[in-house]
Amino acid sequence: MRILIVDDESLNRFLLVHMLEEAGYTDCFEAETGREALQLAEKIKPDLVLLDVIMSDMDGYTVAPLLKKMAGDIYLPVIFITAKDDQTALVRCLEVGGDDFATKPFDRIILTAKIRAHARTRLLSKRAHQQNTELNYFRNGVEREHAIVEHIFANALTINDATKQFFDYRLAPASTFNGDLFLIEPSPSGGMYFLMGDFTGHGLASAIGALPVARAFQAMSRKGVSVSEMSKTINKTLLALLPADMFFAAVVTEISASGHQFAVWNGGMPDLSVIAPDGTVTKKFTSLHMALGILEADEFEENVEYFDAKLGDRLIGYSDGIIELTNVKEQMLGEEAVMSWLASDPTMTVEEISHRTEKFRGNAEQLDDITLISYTCQSLSELKPEFATTQLPFEIAVDLTAEHLTEFDPVYDIVVMVCSQLGLHSVRSDLSTVLNELFINSLDHGILKLNSDIKKTTEGFFEYFELRTQRLSELNQGRITIKISFEPKLKVLTIHVTDSGVGFDYESIKSGHDSDAYGRGIPLIRELCESVNYYAQGRSVCVTIKV
Amino acid sequence: MSLETRISDDQNVLTIYMEEKFDFGKVQEFRDAYLHISDSVKTIVVDLSHTEYMDSSALGMLLNMQKIMAERIETFKIVNCRPQVVKILKISRFDKKFDMS
Repeated sequence: MRILIVDDESLNRFLLVHMLEEAGYTDCFEAETGREALQLAEKIKPDLVLLDVIMSDMDGYTVAPLLKKMAGDIYLPVIFITAKDDQTALVRCLEVGGDDFATKPFDRIILTAKIRAHARTRLLSKRAHQQNTELNYFRNGVEREHAIVEHIFANALTINDATKQFFDYRLAPASTFNGDLFLIEPSPSGGMYFLMGDFTGHGLASAIGALPVARAFQAMSRKGVSVSEMSKTINKTLLALLPADMFFAAVVTEISASGHQFAVWNGGMPDLSVIAPDGTVTKKFTSLHMALGILEADEFEENVEYFDAKLGDRLIGYSDGIIELTNVKEQMLGEEAVMSWLASDPTMTVEEISHRTEKFRGNAEQLDDITLISYTCQSLSELKPEFATTQLPFEIAVDLTAEHLTEFDPVYDIVVMVCSQLGLHSVRSDLSTVLNELFINSLDHGILKLNSDIKKTTEGFFEYFELRTQRLSELNQGRITIKISFEPKLKVLTIHVTDSGVGFDYESIKSGHDSDAYGRGIPLIRELCESVNYYAQGRSVCVTIKV
Repeated sequence: MSLETRISDDQNVLTIYMEEKFDFGKVQEFRDAYLHISDSVKTIVVDLSHTEYMDSSALGMLLNMQKIMAERIETFKIVNCRPQVVKILKISRFDKKFDMS
């Protein structure tokens, strides 16, 4: 306990020092003037100051606030030394920041009791200050860590720019980190995938699971896997990762290149609704599954709902944060409220809906993360130009002899070769279908001389394939040439298939009825190609596909 | 090798799981999968979640199944199609003949 005694009268100082020493306070310093007191205090950092009011250079009223200021956040008790009868002076002492006073003549018992009491308060203040310092240090550390994690999240959870423009959405986390997740990625076929989900709880703990999910979702989107496979894979990833009491309710959706067909897997999220421009709800994708990260792989149900909406229809989805939003009267907003707003104003933007929910919440705290998304069915053709295509005009020619034809199916390898060129992967599925049908026709009808008429009866259908297998195994002559060329300016793939057979009646191979089990190949080709031309009695065919 | 099939617990639904490629190479296996099933089965589900590719003969095979089994089976379903498969099925108007939800 270090005590600074400030008094211009040496007798008073002497008395005080003596009295304090007797009481056990041996660490005492003396100052004769206000200035000296301030200089000394700076140096010795006293724990308590006994301060005289009247001094020649600066009076105690001036010195006290300066001493207090010097002590900063830590409580420095200043006890004024006053004359007993001067009431105005006593009041002033307290007004300028003094904490107490000791009246002359000094009473040892009272003075030491006062010093003890103030020492206790100072100790408490010191402890609080130290804890504050530690807390600040800790908080700065956490803030720094959060900033790093936020940076990582911001990079990992970005919504693909090309697809962003098609959505109207709003994410409102309840704290810095969002336990809700919303991602959109283009699909290789010219459509989009989106993932909207909600981890148990909110904040950093629930946001952490978003990283592996986002990575898996983005990688699978690039590959163009089905919605059911996506859900299955994410479930498997999370099952291995999350603690048992944590899971991820999610909707995984694919929007076709046409912009209005949906494939939806909904596990534990509120309904996803399709709303027609007149406000009627034409489809609800209700949750059919448990949330992700709960079921074992063999219990997992991957079935998906499909819906063909119309251009102009809206797909609306949200996390439970919006329906469980509570106002100050502890009333929940509820799904019906949101849907009724949309029924009365089907064009209501996400911003307007958010505005209304905020108004409902009023001053109540937002307890959960909120996600709200809207997609209006529209042409997604803008997504296509994103794929730059090769500028190289090229031609691939494959000459297949009987030996090749009996041994393997060349279609897959040719498709891989063509689609490995820049930008051509987007036609992969169409090209494999078309090339396969053309090749099969050349092989079956041209080389193997099989007549499709056999397939007219059910038994004939199987007979045809037996005959085909047999003839193929016995094949010793014949040749099929496949030529594929790409014209970069027109972005057109031209496919020529020619066989050494006698040709076939391509006109007659037409399915007469929807239920016929044969003659489906050529109509399929016509649908997928820009142009289809048979010539040389069906021995050659030339088709074009627009990339 | 035969295709994976599963009968529901109540014996009413047969699910046939097709592989990556669904083309003429599967003619025999596909027929074997549905031909010798018990009378209790009322629904046949063809699960195409693993099918990345199907051709016109696969379409024929599906229609043949429907023809052969029409008297015994009430519902034929095609489920979990990938987009490229949906496209082929739609071009061929299979969505009118099969339950594709």
